Amino acid sequence: MNRLQRSSYTAASIAALLALWYAGGIAFPEVLPGLPETVSALIVVLTEPGPYGNMFYFHVWKTIEMLFAALIVSMIAGTFLGIALGRNETLESTLSMWIYGWLAIPSLVIVFVSAIWIGFNANSGYFAVPVVITPFIALNMWEGARTLDTDLAEMAEFFGAGRIQTFKDIIVPQLAPFLFASFRSGLSVGWKITLLVEAFLLTRGVGFMFKRYFDNYDLPTMMSWLIIFVIFLIIVEYGVLAPLHERVMEWRPDAEGVRVTE
Amino acid sequence: MTAAEENQPSAESSGTSVDTLELRNIVKRFEKPGQGEILVLDGVDLDVEGGAFVSLLGPSGCGKTTLMNVISGLVTQDQGTMRRGGRDVAPGDLSLGYIFQEPRLLNWKTVSENIEFALEARDIPESEWQERTDRYLEMVGLGDEGDNYPTRLSGGMKQRVAIARALAIEPEIILMDEPFSSLDEITARDLREELLDIWKQEEKTILFVTHDINEAVFLSDYIYMMNTQGEMFARRNVNIDRPRQYDDPAIAQRETELYREFHENVVH
Ligand SMILES: Nc1ncnc2c1ncn2[C@@H]1O[C@H](COP(=O)(O)OP(=O)(O)OP(=O)(O)O)[C@@H](O)[C@H]1O
Ligand SMILES: [Mg+2]
Repeated sequence: MNRLQRSSYTAASIAALLALWYAGGIAFPEVLPGLPETVSALIVVLTEPGPYGNMFYFHVWKTIEMLFAALIVSMIAGTFLGIALGRNETLESTLSMWIYGWLAIPSLVIVFVSAIWIGFNANSGYFAVPVVITPFIALNMWEGARTLDTDLAEMAEFFGAGRIQTFKDIIVPQLAPFLFASFRSGLSVGWKITLLVEAFLLTRGVGFMFKRYFDNYDLPTMMSWLIIFVIFLIIVEYGVLAPLHERVMEWRPDAEGVRVTE
Repeated sequence: MTAAEENQPSAESSGTSVDTLELRNIVKRFEKPGQGEILVLDGVDLDVEGGAFVSLLGPSGCGKTTLMNVISGLVTQDQGTMRRGGRDVAPGDLSLGYIFQEPRLLNWKTVSENIEFALEARDIPESEWQERTDRYLEMVGLGDEGDNYPTRLSGGMKQRVAIARALAIEPEIILMDEPFSSLDEITARDLREELLDIWKQEEKTILFVTHDINEAVFLSDYIYMMNTQGEMFARRNVNIDRPRQYDDPAIAQRETELYREFHENVVH
């Protein structure tokens, strides 16, 4: 499929969704906020200061700040943990059960416990979000570390490659697809947890805005906030992650077109 | 030469030149899950004479790769020594290239960068990289493929890159572990002839592992034979003038003789 075809399919799917939405809003006004109402609510959100006099970008920025700070911490911790698990059998047999146990803790519980431990402030979020997403990243990187090619390691050893050269030319390229997959799953899980934290504990951010307009039973404005953040996430995927992934994976024989999922 | 005389590997090599690499009484055991310790190399002796093309012939799983790994230092033997010019040597003292059983290329690097990987690992000054990469890619017939990725090359071309990578560090002795066994016969024949050209022109010493007797006879000056117990049971000269032809009856005849001997010793 060429670029033009691809973007016309994308445009067609957006148009179809909007049409469905428009029709649905007329047919079930109780359930689905109407398209025109949502558009006017979106304009209000984008142009007028909201609660506490903050513009929409302040809230979006606060959410992004928490989400990405958590992602950076979790990527580092999860990658080290995952590689350690994949490379060390003792560690693997000792810790693997706990990783699965950790994954099984509901995120809501982690958020509430953080609030009790740390309080109703942003620090709870900076604690809770990494705690929730780190095991997802560790799981991914664990899988990646297990697939590291021992033949290539031997080749590098034979030629006398040092630690740094081995890490940058042998290990990282093999882990690259797993790093991307980890980042994506961290992003999608992390943003949901960030919203939970903001909705339950804080008075700023996109999650707080949802809660606020939920309390007012204002569906069109909730929808507007959803649209803003989903567009942001799509920009991150297509504007940053997919092109970067494409570049890193350039060597693959079938590297044609953007493939978002692995 | 009688069989009895031939059966003493060290007798033939005594008094050879100082650059002969001598392996003596190499023993290696591996721990195998469920089987306990298995003896992979049982007192192996082997002489690699300077400038010679030496083949190591043995059935699958007999320990050929393990022996190559001992020479290259990737595996440490439990017993035995490597000697050269009357002195013990370690793998690090030798100037070695290694062509593995698989190409072992870095798919995320271009062909040239794969060669540069080895040059960087060997601390070759960066100013020499370009010239060496070009020279050895040219030598294996891949002068135009430097910017291509290995994933877009055929199996034979990948093996050529692996050969160029081994040559690029300009080793004295090249270890080759069944480098052509996964290729079709037509491609393999081309590569064998090119390998012989390079061996002559560059004056390299080659230790070549194979389980193909025809290949061993076509390529080698002399051949070592191993059995499944990890013993080196014979060393045989080929004694056929070079350049050799595939359809030379002398090759077929030598192959038959060696096959018979191999069969007697390996399959009981
Ligand atoms: N690192 C290792 N740990 C345990 N066992 C090993 C190891 N490497 C090799 N072995 C065992 O040693 C024996 C010899 O292996 P090796 O790879 O040297 O055989 P080979 O002659 O090269 O076989 P092939 O022709 O199939 O390549 C095999 O039984 C193998 O399973
Ligand atoms: Mg082998």
